[in-house]
Amino acid sequence: MEAASIGTADASHDHGDHHGPPVAHHSSTVEAQTLGMLLFIVSEIMVFGGFFTAYFFIRVVNGNPWPAEGEELPQIIAGFNTAVLLSSSVTMHWALEAAKHGNRRGMKLGMLATLLLGSTFLTVQINEYVHLGFAPYDSAQASIFYGLTGLHGAHVFIGLTLLLFATIRVFKGHFTPDEHQGIEVPGIYWHFVDVMWVIVYLSVYIL
Amino acid sequence: MPAQLKTAGWYRAAAFTLLGLAFSFSLTTLIRSLYGYTPLIDGAAITIVSMIAVPFFFLVGLGAFDYWFYWAAGRPTRAEDHASHGAHSWRDYFKVNTDHKVIGVQYVCTTFFFMFIGGLMAMMVRAELAAPGSQFVDGQDYNSLFSVHASLLIFLFIVPVFAGLANYVLPLMIGAPDMAFPRLNALSFWLLPIAGTLMTTSFLMPGGAFASGWTAYAPLSTTQPLGQMCFSIGVQFAGASSIATALNFLVTIITMRAPGMSFWRMPLLVWANFATSLLVVIATPFIAASQFFVLLDVALGFHFFDATIGGGRQGNVVMYQHVFWFYSHPAVYIMMLPGFGIVSEILSVKSRKPIFGYRMMAFSLLAIVVLGFTVWAHHMFVSGMQDWIRVPMMITTAIIAVPTGIKIFSWLGTMWKGVIHLDTPMLFTLGFLTMFTLGGISGVMLAMVPFDIHVSDTYFIVAHIHYVLFGGSLFTIFAGVYFWFPKMTGRMYNEKLGKIHFWATLIFFNLTFAPMHVIGIQGMPRRVADYAQQFAAWNLAISIASFFLGLSTLIFLYNMVNSWRNGPKAESNPYRSLTLEWQVSSPPPIFNFDEIPTVVGGPYEYGVPGAVHAIMGGTKPEPVAATVGSDTESQES
Repeated sequence: MEAASIGTADASHDHGDHHGPPVAHHSSTVEAQTLGMLLFIVSEIMVFGGFFTAYFFIRVVNGNPWPAEGEELPQIIAGFNTAVLLSSSVTMHWALEAAKHGNRRGMKLGMLATLLLGSTFLTVQINEYVHLGFAPYDSAQASIFYGLTGLHGAHVFIGLTLLLFATIRVFKGHFTPDEHQGIEVPGIYWHFVDVMWVIVYLSVYIL
Repeated sequence: MPAQLKTAGWYRAAAFTLLGLAFSFSLTTLIRSLYGYTPLIDGAAITIVSMIAVPFFFLVGLGAFDYWFYWAAGRPTRAEDHASHGAHSWRDYFKVNTDHKVIGVQYVCTTFFFMFIGGLMAMMVRAELAAPGSQFVDGQDYNSLFSVHASLLIFLFIVPVFAGLANYVLPLMIGAPDMAFPRLNALSFWLLPIAGTLMTTSFLMPGGAFASGWTAYAPLSTTQPLGQMCFSIGVQFAGASSIATALNFLVTIITMRAPGMSFWRMPLLVWANFATSLLVVIATPFIAASQFFVLLDVALGFHFFDATIGGGRQGNVVMYQHVFWFYSHPAVYIMMLPGFGIVSEILSVKSRKPIFGYRMMAFSLLAIVVLGFTVWAHHMFVSGMQDWIRVPMMITTAIIAVPTGIKIFSWLGTMWKGVIHLDTPMLFTLGFLTMFTLGGISGVMLAMVPFDIHVSDTYFIVAHIHYVLFGGSLFTIFAGVYFWFPKMTGRMYNEKLGKIHFWATLIFFNLTFAPMHVIGIQGMPRRVADYAQQFAAWNLAISIASFFLGLSTLIFLYNMVNSWRNGPKAESNPYRSLTLEWQVSSPPPIFNFDEIPTVVGGPYEYGVPGAVHAIMGGTKPEPVAATVGSDTESQES
């Protein structure tokens, strides 16, 4: 691999006549974009960690009842929503597999299905906010509830935006079996958003 | 639409800023009308929304997102004409530029600009403290002065200036043509002036600038005037900038090293930035979270910190301190580890000796990263948290002095029987070694719970933090700026002025901060504009010394500006250094290397006969180099 990269550098450059940078040596088996996304996810996990610290202090250290008196959390609807979001991870994986096999129709359908399921999740979540009957300023528990689910909702929105870009590019004919990072990398983020939801759902609604 | 408004640049940025203001105004008013709030137009709400939204409009106008919009729309990628590489005039430094060398210079100049503003505030603080009683500011303004002073110097100077220096030299050191994500690099730079502007202009807010210290403890911060939001939101931008840069460094170091540059052949500056970047990526989100809480409490009436509502609905105030210090203690290592890297480079070159205990130096960096996450509550011994946390935190805090001690002794071992060149960078390095050791010792004293309780919130703390951040970090920054000045500008600095600057800084630094230990132990409280008569003599002496310390930075400023314009041309390798950044011209060519060099040995083999660090472009890699390279790959996977 090393020889190859140096070889291309030689081929594209004549001495004393440079039009671009030398080809960087690739010193890892991981792609830069994938690694960047993984590190970004580490820092995203820590943002959630900060919010879960607040959750821990108010629920465990303070010993406040959860949820606060007179507040109720719709476990069933949120459970349905969890299923919706988790199935979007499956369709995301389908889109990526289709891209790996050069199946353009599968790519398009997979991306569209993921977008649709993700937006359904967001819509249900917003609808839940409207009908909950309590507001973030009613109690510290409500603040934590809106804080955690809102933070997660914002991440769903970011994920959907990234997937929308990928979908546009799918429909414009981008991505081949050899070059499909534009699907894979936002896909990793999307799976992270899903896993994070399971943790939020379990700790906020169920426990 | 005129062409000026279509192309990326300052005209478009100005237009988009206005657009952003209009957007914030309409969005806020629309939401308030939907909810039926009165009054419909609320200045504070519009200001808060603007502080968040307008920077994004500004960045879009400036062109920081142009390529990504293009990419997202799925249009065929534009042919890269390298128009955003290199700087041909001073104007290029005010554009979105993707060249890591240009971004490095942008970083260093911007951060020093904010250092002078923050330093000026320190002068005003000292002027107020020159005598007991009220001199020229009232209590709230005094609180604002030291709060903005600390926030600017921490978030806009020490943290990012290291990112700037590393931005310039790190890709060169590992033999990479640029950073892994050049456009992200440009974006992370441009977030900085935004954060700095927010913090500096908070003085214009009704009620004055934020005044709750750089720690912004809740519930003080959630009950402050609007200026507090400049801190909460400014920190978000500065934090996003440092996370993006750290991620960029990590990916660059892992994926873009030259053939043969295994982890154990990396210069220690690269190791130091690797360790720092890990800290940034893991810890910085916590301060983001803490400021989100404050923002939500203030702007939308959340109750994260409201302990007064009762009925099993109250928030938790100590939680703020835990979340805040879980970032801000690792942050002191974020502000120190890159300096350790700079010092290692300079000591080895200037002593003409290999680094003593190279691997232990790298391991102790990683040990500090791990231990750095286990000590945060030593800032909270008097906060009212659970008593049982104190002793474990005391022990871990004492333990973290061990890897730091390993580094100090390794540096001493490096100098042992070396041929020492006492020029300006080396003087600052030696100044760092002594001052930082003193600061480290008072740090271990503070780790002891009983002593810490005694001196909590006194000038002893102020003395300690300035010995480690000024005597520690700033000395390494000065050392690094002098050391790489020839590489970055292509000209030599004035050695005589450099030495005068060093001695002035060292003497007046100690005259300013050493007495603070004494008055601190005697009980003079920090963060108060007035003090008891018994401290008057010491404080006058400190204030006078601090003004001279302030003046000494003007020598530095003059030396830098004048040498950049008129200094003698620098050779490519004036210090006969082995690391890669010195093997190219000064300043380096636009794409760093004609061909990627091949690394065949360690970076510090000074005085070792026949030792070679790298074979520069044009030479075919020897077979032995290739096997070393594949070793590298197996090592890190």
